[in-house]
Amino acid sequence: MRVLLVEDEEKVAALVARALEAERLAVDTARDGREGLDLATSNPYDLLIVDLMLPGLDGTELIRRLRRTNTEVPVLVLTARDGVADKITNFEVGADDYLTKPFAFAELVVRVKALLRRGPVTRANVLRVADLELDRVAHAVRRAGVPVKLTAKEYALLEYLALHVGRVLSRTMIVEHVWDQSFEGLTNIVDVYVRQLRAKIDEPHRTKLIHTVRGVGYSLSNEDHP
Amino acid sequence: MNTRSIRFRLVAWYAGVFVLVCVAFGAYTYLSLRHYLRSELQDGLRRRAHQIGTSLLLGIEKTGEAFVVEQIRSFYGPELNNRFIRLSRPDGSVLYVSGTPGDMSFEPARIPPVHVRPGEARVADVPGEHLLLLSLPFAVRGRAFLVEVGASTLEGESLLRGFLLTLGLGLPVILLLAVGGGALLIQQALAPVHRVTEAAREITSRNLSQRLPVPGTADEVEHLSLAMNEMIGRLDEALQHARRFTADASHELRTPLTVMRGELESVVQDGALAARTQARIGSVLEETERLARIVEDLLAISRLEAGEALLERTRLDLASLVSGTADQMSLLAEDKGIEVRCLGERVEIEGDAARLKQVVVNLLDNALKYTPRGGRIWLETRRAGGRALLEVTDTGPGIPEAALPRVFERFFRADGMRSGSAEGGSGLGLAIVRLIATAHGGAVAAANEPAGGCRVAVSLPMAPAARNDAPPGGGAQ
Repeated sequence: MRVLLVEDEEKVAALVARALEAERLAVDTARDGREGLDLATSNPYDLLIVDLMLPGLDGTELIRRLRRTNTEVPVLVLTARDGVADKITNFEVGADDYLTKPFAFAELVVRVKALLRRGPVTRANVLRVADLELDRVAHAVRRAGVPVKLTAKEYALLEYLALHVGRVLSRTMIVEHVWDQSFEGLTNIVDVYVRQLRAKIDEPHRTKLIHTVRGVGYSLSNEDHP
Repeated sequence: MNTRSIRFRLVAWYAGVFVLVCVAFGAYTYLSLRHYLRSELQDGLRRRAHQIGTSLLLGIEKTGEAFVVEQIRSFYGPELNNRFIRLSRPDGSVLYVSGTPGDMSFEPARIPPVHVRPGEARVADVPGEHLLLLSLPFAVRGRAFLVEVGASTLEGESLLRGFLLTLGLGLPVILLLAVGGGALLIQQALAPVHRVTEAAREITSRNLSQRLPVPGTADEVEHLSLAMNEMIGRLDEALQHARRFTADASHELRTPLTVMRGELESVVQDGALAARTQARIGSVLEETERLARIVEDLLAISRLEAGEALLERTRLDLASLVSGTADQMSLLAEDKGIEVRCLGERVEIEGDAARLKQVVVNLLDNALKYTPRGGRIWLETRRAGGRALLEVTDTGPGIPEAALPRVFERFFRADGMRSGSAEGGSGLGLAIVRLIATAHGGAVAAANEPAGGCRVAVSLPMAPAARNDAPPGGGAQ
């Protein structure tokens, strides 16, 4: 899979490229809008990651011109601008997803994978992590075969972690997916729910599945270290 | 009526000065007229007395007294002309006295004799009679006769009375016309000022791009409008500059934050790191997250200030929004052993549901932060004065009185309220609450409870139809 990254900030470009290469993606980088458009029109990319504020040709214009000839390739917009009006404009010209800086790299990877349709197999009805089992139809959870009673929010949180097994998810990502945008900034709610979840899922067992990476977030994984 | 308005004061001054001028002019005219009438009368009397003396008395010894009397009667006809004539001999006896005049203004028989020294004429009003009397001693070969002529003052008095009456009746009418006309004129002159005032009232920090109407009359009002428009322009520029700065600064901060966060995240997830180093980087990451939070909130504020608040207006029940949100946050309260209770009635409001939910989240989060373990928080929704009211009351330490008016300012934290970075707040939660409330046409207020703790109130306009079934007189207090 080949990804074109159009980003003028050198350090951001390097970071994104590194994160994607770690996912075994080939990454080309363009440093301005014109170069980005040239590369995008002359190579068959599987995904474009475009920063909006670019020298030469801005991101919105780049997408608009690209869409005249190529309507297929998915485009993920990266930006420091996140007014709702900006979002609408970019979706209208043909962006497929939107990520606002500063973003968690875990989220970038999750979104990239979703756009490449290579994400976690969400169609599975039962998720398994070690001896933990989530039945996504019945919303039932079992650990080592013993049913665990969870509240709706606890279940939603566990399911979100289980869908991204082994990946550290930031508290902001968790809040945005399990609660809603009004709870942005209220990330301590995640800590409380994770604590509750731990008490039910992990405490009775020797192998701990929920891990904390301080300053980054939480992950669900079978390994001692995520 | 507003007695301090320019209109009232101008009319009052105008009327006052006008009355003063009218009265002064009337008094002057009255006095001059009286003086003129009197001197005319006196001149006539003096002329007549001399005439009688020189043409009749000088020859009295030749003609005899009867001739003189006859002459006076036929020539002067005093009774017909409302005049008084009396001639006295040197011994004081009366030679001739005229009869009662046609207008009955005086009675000749009642007029007392007048004593004057020789060579001295005397003019005086006769008390009790409408008569001006001139007494002139007249010597004929050493014998001093006394000529007394008088004229009725009735005519002059009635003339003066008529003048006073005209003045007394005319003045109020003139005054009324003057005040009415003046008020009308002033109202017309001030109408452009009124329009400018109305337009200026419409302009707030939210629509500073508007300008006042300029009448185009090249007068003072136009100058005022132009000057105010210039001032609004400068304000607009300064405010936009400040907003742009907030927005730009936030944008500029985002890229370095992305790099910092990305680099640190990749370092911290490197398994080879010592636990202590990992904890330190984790701590830096937490602060990075807080910084990102502040940047987000500042951007949210600049967007709210730019009027981007109400993209989706829906009708919703404030009470269920509050209880639903409190329910989602209940675990936070349980964790701190705080009891959260939602009370109150259904109140329909209209607005952006996500933003309004943010209001509840921020208020409850704030209350949870400052309420000690085991405390209580009430969320009450009700109608008050035709508005929807949400009050959040807690059993925390309250807010120092002096700090109350400032709690909705950005980054405001009263001394003693700062509970450490562990809370991780951006210090912008209440500022955002206020901006969202004002964007919805609402208001916020904070007060301390007598029993301790504080109460933050948000009032919002009710949804149009709901306002109709509000209780009359505006709700229970």
